[in-house]
Amino acid sequence: MEEEIRPLPKFDYFSPHSLHDLSTLLKQLKGGISFLAGGTDLLVNMKKRITIPKVIIDINRIQELSFIEKRSNNIHVGSVTRLNNLIESSIVQENVPLLTEAIRFLASHPIRNRATIGGNLCTASPAADAAPPLLALNASVKLKSPDDEKIVPLSEFFVGPRQTVRKHNEILTEIIIPCEKGSNAFMKLGRRRGFTLSVVSVAAFGIIKGDKFEDIRIALGGVAPTPIRAYKIEEMLKGVEVSDRSIEKAAEIAKSISKPSKRAKRASVEYREAMARVLTKRVLMKIAFEERG
Amino acid sequence: MYQDYLGEVKKLLHGKDYKVVGKNVIRVDAIEKVTGRAKYTTDFIIENALIVRAVRSPYPHALIKKINKKPAFKIPGVVAVIIGDDIPGENQCGYYLDDQPLIATDKVRYIGDIVALVVAKDKESAWAGADAVEVKYEELPAVFDPKEALKGDFKIHNRKSPGDVKVIKGDVEQAFKECDVIVENIYKPGSQDHAYLETEAAIAIPEAQDGILVISTNQGPFRTRNAVARVLGKPQSQVRVITPYIGGGFGGKDTYGPIISSLAAVAAEITRQPAMIVHTRYDSFVYHFKRCPFEIRFKSGATKDGKLKAIEVDYLCDCGGYAAHVIGLLKRAAYHSTGVYEIPNCNVQGIAVYTNNLPVAAFNGFGNPQMLFAVESQMDLLAEKLNIDPVEFRLKNALVPGSRTGTNQLLDHSVGIKELISKVAKKADWVKKRSKQKRWQSETKKRGIGIGCSWHGCGTTGFKHDWAGASVILNPDGSVTYSTGIVEIGQGTITSHAMMVAETLGIPYEWVKVELNDTSRMPDSGETHAQRGAFIGGTAAVDAALKLRKKLNKLASEILKCDEDEITIEDGIAYSLNDASKKISFNDLVREMYQRGISPAEYGFIKARRGYPDPDTGQGDPYAAYTFGCTIAEVEIDIETGEVNVLRLYPGVAAGKILQPDVVRGQINGCAMLGLGYSLTEVVERENGKMVNPSFTDYLIPTIMDKPEIAEFISVEDEYKYSGYGAKGVGEIAFIATPLAVANAVYDAIGVRFYDLPISAEKVYFALKRK
Amino acid sequence: MKIKFQLNGQPVEAEAPIDETLLDFLRNRLRITSVKKGCDLGECGTCTVLLNGKPVRSCLLLAVQIDGEDVTTIEGLSKDDNLNPIQEAFVKEYGFQCGFCTPGMILTTKALLDKNPDPSIEDIKIAFEGNLCRCTGYDQIIESVLRAAKLIKR
Ligand SMILES: Cc1cc2nc3c(=O)[nH]c(=O)nc-3n(C[C@H](O)[C@H](O)[C@H](O)COP(=O)(O)OP(=O)(O)OC[C@H]3O[C@@H](n4cnc5c(N)ncnc54)[C@H](O)[C@@H]3O)c2cc1C
Ligand code: FES
Ligand code: FES
Repeated sequence: MEEEIRPLPKFDYFSPHSLHDLSTLLKQLKGGISFLAGGTDLLVNMKKRITIPKVIIDINRIQELSFIEKRSNNIHVGSVTRLNNLIESSIVQENVPLLTEAIRFLASHPIRNRATIGGNLCTASPAADAAPPLLALNASVKLKSPDDEKIVPLSEFFVGPRQTVRKHNEILTEIIIPCEKGSNAFMKLGRRRGFTLSVVSVAAFGIIKGDKFEDIRIALGGVAPTPIRAYKIEEMLKGVEVSDRSIEKAAEIAKSISKPSKRAKRASVEYREAMARVLTKRVLMKIAFEERG
Repeated sequence: MYQDYLGEVKKLLHGKDYKVVGKNVIRVDAIEKVTGRAKYTTDFIIENALIVRAVRSPYPHALIKKINKKPAFKIPGVVAVIIGDDIPGENQCGYYLDDQPLIATDKVRYIGDIVALVVAKDKESAWAGADAVEVKYEELPAVFDPKEALKGDFKIHNRKSPGDVKVIKGDVEQAFKECDVIVENIYKPGSQDHAYLETEAAIAIPEAQDGILVISTNQGPFRTRNAVARVLGKPQSQVRVITPYIGGGFGGKDTYGPIISSLAAVAAEITRQPAMIVHTRYDSFVYHFKRCPFEIRFKSGATKDGKLKAIEVDYLCDCGGYAAHVIGLLKRAAYHSTGVYEIPNCNVQGIAVYTNNLPVAAFNGFGNPQMLFAVESQMDLLAEKLNIDPVEFRLKNALVPGSRTGTNQLLDHSVGIKELISKVAKKADWVKKRSKQKRWQSETKKRGIGIGCSWHGCGTTGFKHDWAGASVILNPDGSVTYSTGIVEIGQGTITSHAMMVAETLGIPYEWVKVELNDTSRMPDSGETHAQRGAFIGGTAAVDAALKLRKKLNKLASEILKCDEDEITIEDGIAYSLNDASKKISFNDLVREMYQRGISPAEYGFIKARRGYPDPDTGQGDPYAAYTFGCTIAEVEIDIETGEVNVLRLYPGVAAGKILQPDVVRGQINGCAMLGLGYSLTEVVERENGKMVNPSFTDYLIPTIMDKPEIAEFISVEDEYKYSGYGAKGVGEIAFIATPLAVANAVYDAIGVRFYDLPISAEKVYFALKRK
Repeated sequence: MKIKFQLNGQPVEAEAPIDETLLDFLRNRLRITSVKKGCDLGECGTCTVLLNGKPVRSCLLLAVQIDGEDVTTIEGLSKDDNLNPIQEAFVKEYGFQCGFCTPGMILTTKALLDKNPDPSIEDIKIAFEGNLCRCTGYDQIIESVLRAAKLIKR
């Protein structure tokens, strides 16, 4: 059910300037905390009373959370990095172009001026556009609580619609993306041409040797309660000849592993499943075409 | 009785070219709008205005057993809780029929029906107060399908239908026997939200002498005034309505403007304090009335030489819980059900049915997009059966001067549709693109091209008088103050009025100042809808200006000592055509008027020339004039995903004189996109009659990315004699043709015909799968 | 909470309630009504302001978040009736109808042209994707942006 738009609820507001201050603050506060990054999900959800935080911790002033760096063979992205900064970043474009490709059409330009990559993942919408490429790239996220810090593979991060393993006093500080050479493809199907939420999205990363798929990693959004990795397809394609038939078969698997929620709005279950097939096929074709020229 | 305004103007201008009309000028509203200074309703920030929040029914159909106001008063900021019985005047806000209480007292008839108003000092209290009011309902069986409503035992009102219409001409039964091809189908064009960017809002402020001032988002200041006067039980003179700039209307604010204004007015009257009500986007989507869904059975027949013989149409309009605008659009659809064609035999019967859905509003096209969707689909189906090209088939049957319409109206002049179809087809390169052989396509994509023709009578639908007033004052320095009751909703009408006033007076356009729209300045001008803003409202402007121009000519001839016929006024100088040295400036002339005691002010007032169709046969002249439209669409369909991509649109209109070409282009392109949304993506999803996709994320209006290439529009200037400068209307016509062209193009591309709108990707996908 | 920020080049100090969006704050407290509320959910673009030169949605920011920042609204573009070239272009190319989307469109144009003085139609579409207009059909807006680019280069 779509909710009414109400005036913002009352809350306390803190705006720490460093991770250290944040930790101190988190130790004092009890609960009912929401971190405010770009606010493009949070404020919407507050107006709709989907989220009613008692305390808002604005993390926009924590400089340490905003960076894009290459360290050894990984790209590290601070969670409060704005999506437009990611799109424009040459480090990202050169090393993980799949991510650039996927968020280029996320929401709209002015939203991307505020919206952050951390926010997109923490919201954990089944249709979050940054999730499939990051899943396909084997990314992981760093979670930090006042007295602990851990790295969680993104594939274990999402647990349900709008649910993650993150605890309320944990902040996502950075995203770690391994760099690999290969081909990339991302496709998103919305319901109009511009500025639209994905009905289904598919991201794939692949390496082709000779005539065979050496390694394919593929992830889908909008076809299950969370964004998912399609391991079945990956296993099936490993070492298999690149052909219309193998791609067609992979596409069929995409359809069969799709389990969209019956309550999901915006498209029927049957259409989502069918589109998982079509987009998977197209994404694989693109990879095959690019690698073989 | 009806003045040949075009002839008179031409005579006064001595047949010279227009100086202002037909040119592109800086719009009256331009500077304010590009600097952000233009004020819309909610920009009038009134210190200490109370906030009004409606308590709305969660049930589609229920008896109101009890309303307990008390809990709301526990919220500190709450000032008043108003129920239907508290309304000072008549609790009635129906548009055509008196079937709609402003605040429901005995029962509710759709989800969102208003049962109380909470008036509070601030937003938070108003919301909390509205949540706190306790209403006890007893649910009644509800019905959302109009056919079921018609058959079953539902008592929404004491009758099932608020109205019906018939158009009966010739002998349909016999005619079908003579037809070589007959096509019969059922069409279900759906609802649509206006989705203007400014939501509905109203502010009411108590004024001196017990009066009340209302500032609101409306398209009919006078209707709004009358509605407010009625619920307050005041004479109309006690209510003043100011309509500031409006952030888009498309008909929606025609219907909802008087309602929301009345809500604010009741709150202000009862508290004797300024009060305002503003819809959130959610409120706007869920509660403001929308386009009427139709169900149309359409049978049409033609002979093998390609001549249309007969149509038999019956249709249902699902009007929701109250009649609101349905009566008008029901009739309009019937009067246009022949399409732009001459058809000697018609049997058209339409009926509106109450259901527990959200009521319906005026909306661009007013019933015609729905009806003409059926008409133009049928045209293509017949053409296919006859094996005639769709354009050729249309040309064979198109109305020409001397034709009679389905209502037997004689169209003696201003009928440019035939020429229009030819020109648009030529521009779109129809013959070549339609030929299947040379067409581009790929494994996953298919292309098609389709045509749609539309027509739209100008002025309110023919059972209601249609008049308009305007006022022109010449100030002693020669500047001009102009007032109209036509509202600037973005369409540029007030600019065209100023242009016509300037042209008629012989002065530069910049000398005319258009006043803020205020009901205390001129007589009732009717609403800003039905393509009547320039056509009827503008003619009132010309009427006033002409009266003054005649006085000016006479005065100038006296001063310059020459014949009245010799006088012309151009660029603010009056002179004799025979001796240009005999001249006097416009300013001096006006000052002389004052000095000689000649009134420098005039009201214009006109009534549209037309008749009133017979209620039993629908025969008569429902509109003074008709605007025609023709659009060709090229589409590309992704056959794997079902996505329809409209590549190009070629719009065209025969709308009489084009007063401002660039403004008209804006109207046409804007309409095309509104039509594109109705064609492809705009679905009002409903559960129990309530919209369940009420946001711009889920109700998908076209973005800049969705914009196809839109060709420069074709215009056939089929001038109309009895309007100022021969203009007809352009506001709705290009909208109507778009979905018709798109639907026909989709069929051309993939051979699947859709009988309902919009044609979403998902629908195309499943249709192709079934095929 | 007391906040200090630059508004159209002028320093402003004001009291901002914590639970107020920048949009409501600008409109109701500072009376900058050119910033419009079309949806309050980030979906329409009528509430566009430039935050440190970049277009953002003022309905999705808290007023307190702009403490120390630089905010531009359309009032910052022109003084009195001396139109900025972008505004002039919108007038000449009829880049508005009802005008409700116009302040947002013009600010978006400014941000685009500041960054990219010679945008292609594709660039324009990307920049304007989040700004809905129900009236114009967008063509005359695109033409306004192109003319503005020319005027500025002159
Ligand atoms: C009009 C509109 C269109 C949109 N279209 C799309 C679209 O096409 N595709 C798409 O994927 N999304 C879309 N979104 C959703 C949204 O913009 C993105 O998900 C965005 O990336 C969220 O980031 P944010 O920084 O604004 O998050 P916020 O709103 O600030 O935060 C979102 C949630 O994550 C939490 N959070 C944020 N950062 C952290 C952190 N570092 N650590 C822990 N918790 C954190 C917050 O507490 C909150 O619960 C759209 C949103 C809008 C308003
Ligand atoms: S009001 Fe902010 S985007 Fe619509
Ligand atoms: S001009 Fe009306 S919304 Fe753009």
